Amino acid sequence: MIRRNIKAGEGKEGFPGARGFYDPEVWAKVTGRARYGIDLALPGMLQGKILRSPHPHALIRNVDLSRARSLPGVRAVLSGTGLGAKPYGIVFDDENPLALDRVRYIGDEVAAVAAVDEQTALEALQMISVEYEPLSAVFDPEEALLKGAVTLHDDFPGNIAWENRINRGEAEAAFKDADLVVEDTYALPSFHPGYIEPISCIAESEKFDGLTLHTALQSPHIVREILAGVLGLSISRVRVISPVMGGGFGGRVYGNLKLYLLAAFLSRAAGAPVKMQLTREEEFTVGRPMVAAMIKMKMALKEDGTFLARQADIITDNGAYSAQAPWVSKTLSERNDSLYHIPSISTRVRLVYTNKVPTGQYRAYGNQLANFACESLIDRAAGKLGMDPLRLRLKNCIGPGDTSVHGLQIKSCALSRCLQDAADAIGWTERKKGRGYGISAAIHAGGSIVFNPDFRGASARARLELDGRVTIVTGEQDYGQGAHGAFALIAARALSRVPGEINIVSRDTILTPFSIGALGMRQTTIGGRAVQLAAEDLLARIRDCAAELAGEEVVPEGGAFRTSSGRLIEPVGIAAFYCAKTSGLALTGEGRYVPEKSDYDQSGYGNIAVTYSFAAHACEVEIDRETGALTVHRFVAVHDSGRIVNLLTARGQVYGGVAQGLGMACSEGYIFEEGRVANPTFSGYRIPTALDLPSIETLFIQTDDPEGPYGAKGLGEIVQVPTPAAVANAVANALGEPVNELPLTAEKISRLLHGWECAD
Amino acid sequence: MDKQVVSFNLNGEAVRVRCDPFSSLLSLLRDRLGLLGTKAGCGRGECGACTVLLDGLAVNACLVPAGKAEGLNVETIENLSRGGSLHPIQEAFVEKGAVQCGFCTPGMVMSAHALLKSDPAPGREEIRKAISGNLCRCSGYVQIEEAIAAAADKLKD
Amino acid sequence: MKYIIAKSLDGALAALQDTGTGRARVVAGATDLFLQEQPDRLIDISRLPELQEVTLEKGLLRVGAAVTHNAASASGLIWEKAAALAEASTLLGSPQIRNIGTLGGNVANAAPAADAAVALAALGAEAVLFDSPGRFYVKPFAGLYAGYNCSRVDSCREILAWFLIRPAGPGQGSAFLRFTARGALSLPLANAAARVTLEKGRLKEVSLVVAPAGPAPSRLKKTEALLLGSNLSGKTWSMAEESASAEVAVRGSALRCSVEYRRRLIGILAGRVLSLAAQRAQRNR
Ligand SMILES: Cc1cc2nc3c(=O)[nH]c(=O)nc-3n(C[C@H](O)[C@H](O)[C@H](O)COP(=O)(O)OP(=O)(O)OC[C@H]3O[C@@H](n4cnc5c(N)ncnc54)[C@H](O)[C@@H]3O)c2cc1C
Ligand code: FES
Ligand code: FES
Repeated sequence: MIRRNIKAGEGKEGFPGARGFYDPEVWAKVTGRARYGIDLALPGMLQGKILRSPHPHALIRNVDLSRARSLPGVRAVLSGTGLGAKPYGIVFDDENPLALDRVRYIGDEVAAVAAVDEQTALEALQMISVEYEPLSAVFDPEEALLKGAVTLHDDFPGNIAWENRINRGEAEAAFKDADLVVEDTYALPSFHPGYIEPISCIAESEKFDGLTLHTALQSPHIVREILAGVLGLSISRVRVISPVMGGGFGGRVYGNLKLYLLAAFLSRAAGAPVKMQLTREEEFTVGRPMVAAMIKMKMALKEDGTFLARQADIITDNGAYSAQAPWVSKTLSERNDSLYHIPSISTRVRLVYTNKVPTGQYRAYGNQLANFACESLIDRAAGKLGMDPLRLRLKNCIGPGDTSVHGLQIKSCALSRCLQDAADAIGWTERKKGRGYGISAAIHAGGSIVFNPDFRGASARARLELDGRVTIVTGEQDYGQGAHGAFALIAARALSRVPGEINIVSRDTILTPFSIGALGMRQTTIGGRAVQLAAEDLLARIRDCAAELAGEEVVPEGGAFRTSSGRLIEPVGIAAFYCAKTSGLALTGEGRYVPEKSDYDQSGYGNIAVTYSFAAHACEVEIDRETGALTVHRFVAVHDSGRIVNLLTARGQVYGGVAQGLGMACSEGYIFEEGRVANPTFSGYRIPTALDLPSIETLFIQTDDPEGPYGAKGLGEIVQVPTPAAVANAVANALGEPVNELPLTAEKISRLLHGWECAD
Repeated sequence: MDKQVVSFNLNGEAVRVRCDPFSSLLSLLRDRLGLLGTKAGCGRGECGACTVLLDGLAVNACLVPAGKAEGLNVETIENLSRGGSLHPIQEAFVEKGAVQCGFCTPGMVMSAHALLKSDPAPGREEIRKAISGNLCRCSGYVQIEEAIAAAADKLKD
Repeated sequence: MKYIIAKSLDGALAALQDTGTGRARVVAGATDLFLQEQPDRLIDISRLPELQEVTLEKGLLRVGAAVTHNAASASGLIWEKAAALAEASTLLGSPQIRNIGTLGGNVANAAPAADAAVALAALGAEAVLFDSPGRFYVKPFAGLYAGYNCSRVDSCREILAWFLIRPAGPGQGSAFLRFTARGALSLPLANAAARVTLEKGRLKEVSLVVAPAGPAPSRLKKTEALLLGSNLSGKTWSMAEESASAEVAVRGSALRCSVEYRRRLIGILAGRVLSLAAQRAQRNR
């Protein structure tokens, strides 16, 4: 029997009222009435298309737009030189909306057209002639680091976009004194978030230098700032309105900035709204997948299994432009160090430019990539020590009250319990012959306080409506992960209401408080906490107003108020009273959750987040020893995400994350041929179908976190982190041999089994 | 572009449209007839977001030439919740948490609809097969499968 | 541009012959054709009743070219008399593709590893074709390919009407297997089909076809010959595996798999599919 740690009275389904409560948007989605980006249209709208470089690296000698301009139906044609835009970027400014004198990957944006319909826009692209002078290109990051390699950006000699070294403790000494040192090199390709709705937008340039952009984003407020900067507009004149989002997974934090910028430039030039949409092929060839990584790693242990030190030399493949890749590389290079007690760390990470698809981010910021290396190497060490991999992990687990090697302050933590329960559920002690078993654990930060050290929290407004309902106004985004439903449950709890009486307003930068957005598992933790505080603030104000209305003391009673003389005052009455009294205002509560400032120092040491979530995944696999085909039979995911707000949607997050992790482990990944994406389709980039997934069991160990709202912590990103390593460890267990490359295709496993080499 | 009149039965109503017969049924439904419930994720038959029923069979509307619809019955997601009440499959999708971003949902519901018409009591394996042409990136399919099984039960009584 | 739904075979042939209004081409499910270059007129033959029939007459199984994969996989007659074909149709593409994609389209599209085509090749199917003046021909399966993705069936002039298959009789059986990187929506890395006749517990006739290996489904004649007279032991199947692997000429691709792996895979599939076909033959008394 598995022990489920759900506190009595909390209800199995999550917070009070969670059972039978569904985010109202679900009705629109299930009937086909929800409007996504691809569904939007505005009167007089034009269609925009982009001309892209066929070369991985070339100088642009000349761009001739004249023929395209004269095609009937064409309303605007732009090239880089005509734009006069400044370079931009997310971490550093290494991109232009359209290439100026040089293209750096196959797909680089060279010219853009807006026309009355798509057909005409495509025809116009054909009529643009570009003279290129091809340059030699570099596709392999290790080659790009060599002396004499061709340089992509003059500002970044040696092709190093970003690099970092971290030294904690005495790694060198630890390796000298160790009883055991294990090491290996791990390779992972680029992975795409693979949301099913391709990114699209409509840009509407407005009079007086304004812009309205319709596109679904995880971080609309931040994108608004970037757009205003590049377009030379005042921030308050740029408005981002998000339709329903067809999946994000980190890929829509900034979405496709270039697409938005070009739509805006075209709209300005044509004086009409311009819609642009990536094709599925463009999603894969110019969308922003996560960096590929090469991880050389070494671990030092004592004979009894105590971890002493870890050393890593990491190269991440940036592609042609940088976007969020430095942040991804940073998380990738550090986060796993805080999962166990490891006294000494020595890490070097280099992010390297190559002439390939520029990268962005994908759920969990690379934590899952390094997790594959770290957790595989731990199994390797266990094998060498003759120790059970589960025991070796349990021996070194971080726990509540600990400060990790990088200074993370762990408050609530059920890591060892996650590991133990995952092992129990998969049947660790009665493992069947002929099957492979693997386990892996993870930590992920929930609610970064160092993303912007001065802006650490979130805010929300709560408003009592004339009908007595309460509206929460939030800048945090929901894209199906259940954030808004969770907010309704949190607000309902604070106000002693049922969640169905809460409205959520979001998705418009004009209406909502500034927010960093849906990233780094900050929605439920930080955003939810702000909602709780706003609701509590509103409750206090409603109470004061009720007392004023009644002319006597009141006490709350199930969402309404009871006066000392026994009358019941309902919210509707209070709202009407306040509206009349103020000639139109509504009672409003404000919530600001401002976490304590971090002690984060120059070396990157210090607490980085409000909460930390933990997980352990375990699985049972079988390998066809002839073909190498891998079947994952059973999968167990145990999570400590604090108190579960809504069990139904929490389970959905875990299933979805595990499915994505299994895709990484088994079948996904970019394949390049001379810089060209060889698999830019859903048949070539193989995300799992319903026939590819094992039975997945989910368990939640509910800790009470002091920071999260009512003890809740983040879940959305960690769900994927331990999955690839759990599968890899199970495969290694089945093969009796380590694996160090993803995805684990049948061909790779066959090669490991039969030791044959690849000639081509 | 040459146009041709195509007549078919759309969600129980006869329609006649002049259109390019080589354009896709998907663009006919979405761009001409304003039925935006059917989604587009790839345009190549590889994601199933555009699934509609053609004479009761699930097909990828993005691969069906508009001219092929001539004389046939086309059923889209819009037909399932006519008059405002949800179809039992839709109810089950809501109750089981089978809808996350919801982009795959219309196609998924239509595949489930086709399945339950031909097999009122499918097992888990039949359900998985029936939705194997519909990609969902959010859900890991588990709650979708639960929803379809629950919908089968609902439709029984 | 015109899309014509053919009402009769004669009508379809007449529409093909009438070139006055531009180039015409036959279309069935359109799952392949739709994303390819399109002609001026499409003649849709998918509703012709005679092309959707599956019948057993004069000792031959006659399967219409417009039979969809799902219809084939639901046909008891095909499962009983030509299991390999039913199996290929069951595994191909996705439910949506199988609902509309046809056997004739699968063959005439001439992709090197088209699943149904591989099964039909192993079953020794013959194709019945009509040309636009209305003449009909019977062609052996191997004669239908002109090169990579290039069919000898001229779909602008000819209609592939039926496949004629020698039905499995006593002591005969067939099977189809494929290996894919994903459970659905995946073209095969390799596939194989076999048809065998047994006599006194030994292999009397063997037909073994694998793909992708060259432009058309590839018959492994050396392996077939080697196996004649063998019993149905594990040793025979390992011999088949080894021989098939050695005999087959394959290409690799960065996207799918290397030459070495494909060669191994085809060997393994060959051994397995023969064994499965033989089991069925044994049961078929
Ligand atoms: C997502 C996806 C997955 C797929 N997966 C697979 C797979 O796993 N395995 C596989 O083998 N295939 C697969 N296919 C390919 C395709 O679906 C099949 O080959 C299908 O059988 C084609 O049949 P159709 O009726 O749709 O052909 P169409 O597209 O209608 O026609 C194909 C070609 O054949 C010609 N033609 C069709 N019928 C006739 C006829 N009767 N006489 C003369 N010429 C004719 C046409 O002119 C055209 O050139 C897949 C396709 C897609 C889009
Ligand atoms: S849009 Fe039709 S299958 Fe993807
Ligand atoms: S719910 Fe998002 S793709 Fe299925």
